[in-house]
Amino acid sequence: MKLTRREFIKSNAVAAAAASAGMSIPGVALAATPQSEEGVRWDKGVCRYCGTGCGVLVGVKDGRVVATQGDPDAPVNKGLNCVKGYFLSKIMYGKDRLTKPLLRMKDGKFDKNGEFAPITWDAAFDIMADKVKATLKEPTQGANGVAMFGSGQWTVWEGYAAVKLMKAGFRSNSIDPNARHCMASAVAGFMRTFGIDEPMGCYDDAEHADVFALWGANMAEMHPILWSRITNRRLTANHVKIHVLSTFSHRSCELADNELIFKPQSDLAILNYICNYIIQNKAVNQEFVKKNVGFFQGVTDIGYGLRPNHPLEQVANNNGYPGADGKPKGDPNKHTPITFDDFAKFVSEYTLDKAHEISGVPKEKLEALAKAYADPKVKVTSYWTMGFNQHTRGTWVNNMIYNVHLLVGKISEPGNSPFSLTGQPSACGTAREVGTFAHRLPADMVIFNPKHREMTEKLWKLPAGALSAQMGYHAVAQSRMLKDGKIGFYWTSTTNNMQAGPNVNGEIYPGWRNPKAFVVVSDVYPTVSAMSADLILPCAMWMEKEGMFGNAERRGQMWRQQVKAPGDCKSDLWQYMEFSKRFKMEDVWPADVLAKAPEYKGKTLYEVLYANGQVNKFPKDETAKVNAHAFAGYTNDESEAFGYYVQKGLFEEYAAFGRGHAHDLAPFDTYHKVRGMRWPVVDGKETLWRFREGYDPYVKKGEGVRFYGYPDGKAKIFALPYQPAAEMPDKEYDLWLCTGRVLEHWHTGSMTRRAPELYKSFPDAVVWMHPKDAEKRGLKRNDVVKVSTRRGEISLRVDTKGRNKPPEGLIFIPFFDEHRLVNKLTLDATCPISKETDFKKCAAKVVKA
Amino acid sequence: MNISSAIVHAGPGQLPVVQAGLAGLEGVEVHAVSPEGKLIVTIESADDGSNVAIYEEIGRLQGVMSTAMVYHQIESEPDLEVSVEAGRRAEPQIKEI
Repeated sequence: MKLTRREFIKSNAVAAAAASAGMSIPGVALAATPQSEEGVRWDKGVCRYCGTGCGVLVGVKDGRVVATQGDPDAPVNKGLNCVKGYFLSKIMYGKDRLTKPLLRMKDGKFDKNGEFAPITWDAAFDIMADKVKATLKEPTQGANGVAMFGSGQWTVWEGYAAVKLMKAGFRSNSIDPNARHCMASAVAGFMRTFGIDEPMGCYDDAEHADVFALWGANMAEMHPILWSRITNRRLTANHVKIHVLSTFSHRSCELADNELIFKPQSDLAILNYICNYIIQNKAVNQEFVKKNVGFFQGVTDIGYGLRPNHPLEQVANNNGYPGADGKPKGDPNKHTPITFDDFAKFVSEYTLDKAHEISGVPKEKLEALAKAYADPKVKVTSYWTMGFNQHTRGTWVNNMIYNVHLLVGKISEPGNSPFSLTGQPSACGTAREVGTFAHRLPADMVIFNPKHREMTEKLWKLPAGALSAQMGYHAVAQSRMLKDGKIGFYWTSTTNNMQAGPNVNGEIYPGWRNPKAFVVVSDVYPTVSAMSADLILPCAMWMEKEGMFGNAERRGQMWRQQVKAPGDCKSDLWQYMEFSKRFKMEDVWPADVLAKAPEYKGKTLYEVLYANGQVNKFPKDETAKVNAHAFAGYTNDESEAFGYYVQKGLFEEYAAFGRGHAHDLAPFDTYHKVRGMRWPVVDGKETLWRFREGYDPYVKKGEGVRFYGYPDGKAKIFALPYQPAAEMPDKEYDLWLCTGRVLEHWHTGSMTRRAPELYKSFPDAVVWMHPKDAEKRGLKRNDVVKVSTRRGEISLRVDTKGRNKPPEGLIFIPFFDEHRLVNKLTLDATCPISKETDFKKCAAKVVKA
Repeated sequence: MNISSAIVHAGPGQLPVVQAGLAGLEGVEVHAVSPEGKLIVTIESADDGSNVAIYEEIGRLQGVMSTAMVYHQIESEPDLEVSVEAGRRAEPQIKEI
């Protein structure tokens, strides 16, 4: 058959789409793509962006990634791509890629006010080691003054190697991931309600639910592939309904049967109203509740996570901050048992009238939503992302959505699922499961618990007392402690906090430029953060290294290193392990700890942490053997550098934490063959729904449902009130400012802004506002305006039409644009329990520029 | 020359509106329509930027509930003739276990 190349490519394109959509088109057969004819090597991979975890096929030719396409065999996305995933092959090839370590220098020496100049890795590690040693000795700084800010984009072994370096090596708990800004409230919610982290359901719920409720999640733009599964369900089953709750109207609302636009913070009142409705209408699943749920009242005056001298913190008696006597003022996490009747009485004040009054949502819309949750015949899946998590009551609001699902027993079965979505590819796999938080250890363990420290010390072959119980600095505290001079060495990687963190003007920038701090940024491009550092380290990224990510449905997925990184770029994994060679144990451990392990005297940190007989257990030739099914002679840069299969050794040591403890991971080799598996993986089988007999191997026969995260097998329902936000519009700053994302860009845009197609399609951030608000200020669409808060100002264009439609009184600005840093405006108020910032609510004003 | 394909979902009862909207877009061709409202379309454009722009425009059409890209290829000689054997699609050299 003769065709033009255009016709040929088109028929391939149509065939691929038809296969993904499950449609057959007569006369169109699957044909070979030209790439496969031209010697492109294809292998399975995972998308670099969000927490959905789409499978992609990666095509390599002449040492370069030349093509990607949705993996038709990946259960998550079944061959589909969103527009970002579509241009994945371009993210490594931006023109301004960093390829050499760069140090601020003047007259050949480091100078905090000098200009960036290239240096060797050796010289970079020299100055870093000096700064770490000096910080450890400085009485006002000490171990927790050595701090690291990491990422939910770290691969599993990078996060694991980092935790070991920080917690076991430097004995510092000041390691926190950027996931603190995005997932911490979800984690705290899970831990408080269930005693174990991460969703019980999975993406398969999208094909089983009768009703979907989105709470502060614009899935059409932020999780487009999952949204396509929901769209498919909505359009193929007539009875399916979608409720979308948000503080402004957006693309997901276009598919909504019930659109509920509520006043910021009033989600708390709506959730209590739904519980009240369920109780008043006798829709409580009595049997389920009696067997599986306990009721608790939480403390309420917990503050807003602001600095202790803020007036809101001085009147809070349960914020945990030091009081006048130096002792902590209560504990924001404290809760005491109550009865079902107490709970019913507590929520009884949240009537339909009151919920309407607080939220501004029409009564019939509130009632329609409550009815869906209450109806025993209707399966409901709730999705949420940053609207819930970035909230000064983020932990509460997570607890409160579980209240609703638990009261009616709609949980842990196909289609009945409260589901917390994630924003980063390994927020679950790395940040949460590995435990790269200031308070955490692997497999949901915490540093405060002596038994957890003991277990960790044993698995890491450390003497008793090697791990510190002293709470480290979390993300927002790190910024404050840098400014206050308490952190002397700060290393960030795979994240861009100078753009993504809150209150850049007031806290982050002054902190990083404080002469008492030495700031190292490991990154791939000259981001705002890199340019604000003292030392920049060039990184290998994505397919330039072997990796594993864990997505939002507990699915762990691995990929092989496909190409070499350019120039002197090195993976984070290499950086942490190689840097550890710069320290003798005597440099980092106090004499009393080292005395308990005399065999470690004179050894390097590298020998104790990594060449410990476990991590270096698998010889280098395993690298080729394990991956022989994919391509012959496979190796990776870390196996070559250290002489053993580093990734396998780290993974297997790490996996020992969770096996037998309801966090079971499959053997390393398996992940290199399959399209991911959802933990717990027991006897080779993954788990789709947790806590329910028949699905979850940890629930015994006859138990039905068991929330085994708590010893009594029960989940907790919390009585918690509606409370106002930390900062609200007033006469001068008369608008709510909400920040977030757009479809085309991912987070701070350091990758998507370098894909020319994506950059062109959405080059600059705009401020979306209601046409009446614009008119009142004498503004027209596309006018340049000045948006200001008590913390700073930025200029950008106004948009009164298009995809986002805020109600009067609210504006929305995305944070991807490094030239319009909206986080100069945001307030660093956090949930006092999860310490996650509320990026969705502060007070702003808009004037013509 | 850029050629890509996408799956477009029309809302309930919105198929005619969506089809009319798609017909008005240059470089867009509808290849198949399913009764429940799914459409297979291709997008042809001169460069990558306008490819994304057209894709975005499809997303904004009245009645469109969601769009997903599937396939994308850049071709410098679209009018060259090729001889085609029925073959296989791009596949990784690994097997599911």
